[in-house]
Amino acid sequence: MNAYAASRLHSAPVARRELRVEGLSKVFTARRGSVVTAVDDVSFRVLPGEVCALLGPSGCGKSTVLRMVAGLEQPSDGSIVLSGREVTGPGRDRGLVFQSYTCFPWLTVRENVAYGLKVTGSTLALREGTVDYFLERVKLTPFADRYPDELSGGMRQRVAIARTLANGPDLLLMDEPFGALDSETRWQMQRLLLDVVRREGMSVLIVTHDVDEALYLADKIVCLSRHPGRVRDILMPPAEKPDEPEALYSAPAFVRLRSGILRMLREEGATAPLGETP
Amino acid sequence: MTSSLPATALPDRARQDTRWRTPLFDFQRTLSWRGRVALGVLAWGLFLAAWQMLARAGIAPEQLFPAPTDVFSALYRLLTEQQFLSDIRASLTRILISFAIAASLAVPLGVLMGAFPVVAAFGNALVSPFRYLPAPSFIPLLLMWLGTGEAQKIALLCLGVVWFLITLVMDNTRAVRVDLIETAKTLGATRRATLWTVVVPAALPAIVDTLRQMLAVSWTYLVIAEIVAATDGIGAMMMRARRFVRVDDIMAGILVIGLLGLLLDLLFRALHWWVFPYLRQRRQ
Ligand SMILES: Nc1ncnc2c1ncn2[C@@H]1O[C@H](COP(=O)(O)OP(=O)(O)OP(=O)(O)O)[C@@H](O)[C@H]1O
Ligand SMILES: [Mg+2]
Repeated sequence: MNAYAASRLHSAPVARRELRVEGLSKVFTARRGSVVTAVDDVSFRVLPGEVCALLGPSGCGKSTVLRMVAGLEQPSDGSIVLSGREVTGPGRDRGLVFQSYTCFPWLTVRENVAYGLKVTGSTLALREGTVDYFLERVKLTPFADRYPDELSGGMRQRVAIARTLANGPDLLLMDEPFGALDSETRWQMQRLLLDVVRREGMSVLIVTHDVDEALYLADKIVCLSRHPGRVRDILMPPAEKPDEPEALYSAPAFVRLRSGILRMLREEGATAPLGETP
Repeated sequence: MTSSLPATALPDRARQDTRWRTPLFDFQRTLSWRGRVALGVLAWGLFLAAWQMLARAGIAPEQLFPAPTDVFSALYRLLTEQQFLSDIRASLTRILISFAIAASLAVPLGVLMGAFPVVAAFGNALVSPFRYLPAPSFIPLLLMWLGTGEAQKIALLCLGVVWFLITLVMDNTRAVRVDLIETAKTLGATRRATLWTVVVPAALPAIVDTLRQMLAVSWTYLVIAEIVAATDGIGAMMMRARRFVRVDDIMAGILVIGLLGLLLDLLFRALHWWVFPYLRQRRQ
């Protein structure tokens, strides 16, 4: 066990801090001057150590909310406060995992995972073996010296997750991180994510349009309505998570929630049929 | 995840690849290395044979239209002369010095313009119009300002490529994936660190390719510079040969320029292969 793992043992999951999103709105101005309201008056909270899922139909503004929280997009209105401080730009306290594979192709897997620590001058963390610890957590130690282009999609996504986790963010932001994976790999990745996140004690805000993923991962599901994105409902799935994906389909609590959400999504779909431009 | 195919699986697969007879002129047909070389040699063989026959057919005077064998023997004779070797050296020196100057101006500028729209808006206003001015139109000016020496030739060669280099490097830098830049930002990289650790390494393979292609363009201006006013260089040698109606020497000069261009191109490709090991396993 390396120094970083040892230090984790002694510090029990730190209660990291709270994210408050209040009255968040985003209006895009298209090239010809027409305006699109992508996000309209969205408010929710992510408590310390909580996993929160943003769920909604395609184009409802989930990615936009996430990018605003990450500090990559300026809100048109409202506020985003993390641990008492207003978000005014990107920062290492919020780590973002993109849907597209964003490994740096010119760096090896190990160099990718070390990137955040190197670039922020965290030499202590580097010396403690943080990189090796997270490589082990995502089971990529045998591939540490490969280049990303030699890896499969799921492995690349694990590199991106390890790279973000190694930086020790308070809040982990993920935009449909497992969208491109097959169901078994996705299930494994979800378990891995829950395990790592519990152990590191960080909060998670994850965007998904997969109802089962939201039910399995989240302590809280924020359902957005279609265009413009508004909070339609906030749901709390059972805290006890099953060991197998099949159990999600049989446990009564999950079944009831799932059919509720599916009905809601269908209603949202009906209000703006496919192909209609907003 | 790991390749744990049984040992017999590979030969089986290889055999399967030759089971179908793919049409010779199939779209996207894959060719073996040997097949490609054979076709290249065949193309050159046919070209030279046709040339040889035309020249020996006696349609044109032999002095004005020598056969390839005459050109090769002229080349051999030139290469044994001290004069021609120093001509080659002079030309190569001009190319390399002028290109180094042009690249060391254009790469930093192009990267900054590609990375920062503010710099691009400022720089493009100057660079774009200059791109449309033919470099040879500056020759009279350069002759007056810099005389007929090396400075004038180097300046012409720089002028010929620098504007295109700036624009192309800018495009290479602009093409860097935005999500890689955003990833660096969310990992806590400052703007300066993002420029050096993401934008530059991400754009570099394309920039090296751009340099390779623009180096070929440099040769165009070299010949123009050496034809206008020069006592040495391959272009000057060809002008001398013209006075004595040595068409075989002129053609040998053209051949040497082609070969040197090809050699520099290969050197750039080798550099690319060596500096970017992570691109090796990717198919082109
Ligand atoms: N840069 C932009 N300029 C203009 N409009 C934009 C921009 N980014 C997003 N939009 C618009 O905002 C709306 C929400 O986009 P967003 O990407 O947040 O949706 P999403 O919920 O993530 O969808 P998906 O599930 O398909 O990823 C869309 O209508 C989109 O067209
Ligand atoms: Mg999205």
